[in-house]
Amino acid sequence: MLFADKVAVVTGSSRGIGRTIALHLARAGADVVVNYRVRGGSSERQANELCAEIRALGRRSLAVQADISNRQAVRALVAEAGATLGRLDFLVLNAARAPFKPYERLLDRDLRQLVDTNFLGNVSCIREALPLLERSSGKVVFISSLGSRFATPSYPLGSMKAAMEAVVRDCAESLRDRGVAVNAVCGGIVQTDSFKILRQVWDGLDRLSPEVLVSPDEIAEVVVFLCSPAAAGICGQTIVVDRGLSNRVLR
Amino acid sequence: MQHLIGEETVSSEIRKALVETLRVGPATIGPETSIVRDLGAESLDFLDLNYRLEQTFGIRMARHFFLEHMEEMFGEGSAIDENGRLTPRALAVLRARYPEATLPEHEDGIDMDEVPSLITVQAMTDTVMSILDTLPAGCSCGASAWRAEDGTHVICGTCRQPATFTNGDDLTRQWLSGLSEGSGLP
Repeated sequence: MLFADKVAVVTGSSRGIGRTIALHLARAGADVVVNYRVRGGSSERQANELCAEIRALGRRSLAVQADISNRQAVRALVAEAGATLGRLDFLVLNAARAPFKPYERLLDRDLRQLVDTNFLGNVSCIREALPLLERSSGKVVFISSLGSRFATPSYPLGSMKAAMEAVVRDCAESLRDRGVAVNAVCGGIVQTDSFKILRQVWDGLDRLSPEVLVSPDEIAEVVVFLCSPAAAGICGQTIVVDRGLSNRVLR
Repeated sequence: MQHLIGEETVSSEIRKALVETLRVGPATIGPETSIVRDLGAESLDFLDLNYRLEQTFGIRMARHFFLEHMEEMFGEGSAIDENGRLTPRALAVLRARYPEATLPEHEDGIDMDEVPSLITVQAMTDTVMSILDTLPAGCSCGASAWRAEDGTHVICGTCRQPATFTNGDDLTRQWLSGLSEGSGLP
């Protein structure tokens, strides 16, 4: 098994891309902490179902509620992962939360939430997990999106993705000597919950050729690769997985 | 007011969408069931629900909650204070929006995050019905021969084009304007 005895935390993994990443890591042998934000809601139910699915693969798994915008909650998430599963090898930063509105319509608290979750929350995760990651020469993989580099309607999350891609570059350098590798995967238009949302705010999305739609599995495969020894030479990179969408001016 | 798609049909389609989206048993869903509190729906689930209803009825549900529209129409802070609690004005709108709802009682006011739990199956049914009721008298082709295809899609019986309804956000804004002008909100 590629990841035998390894432990992963995947933030925001009760559904969508995070869920698929958690499953792929588990299939490769890792034990997985499934993180979700809201207690008592549909994501808790889905997180518990995912844990059962991972356990059925013969791996250990636990669901941990934590809103990553809350530093104390992040601390507790990492502590529970360490205490229950004994170590941490892979931190996959997938959780994201943002309103789908253009910038001029964002309220002050929308902006604060945008930064608190998608920038400060992710940075908190790295900082809190660092002691455990150092011990295992671990890997951090951030899940970005094309909104980090292209204007996307009603998608202010894109600017946070761009900021985090910069954090990935900086942390890759500053943490290299401590044995921690940091990289990112930038997804194109992925068919998940967010796709359902984008379809509602981005007229014409339904008319895009299905050939450019990325599956969550295609993102997860690259995350597994970045966590594997095969990616030892990759440092501070953001790998675009978009089926060529951003490679052409016209489509 | 349109008479092609009845409230029973809308309610039944909403139940179907809830069962598919939230994977809950149909027996757990009644008219007064809170979609958030009783069925555990989260914001992403509402987007899924809305999408299903849009596909079912050929309508466009509101992308933004009425509190957000208030903030845009009447200025930031008009609906939600700096602590995330509803202003007296928002409370009055809330009572008008959900007249049957039992509002949470706290000394320091209602938190904005508590509001979605007031959305019941009946409230969602009323929302969809209000959009369907914006069916224009006639089609742009000049005919007045609407009919409900498959029981849920209104099309023109002459040119077979789908009907165009007022979208949910515009309808919310119109409703807020009327409320503001008519009743003298605080």
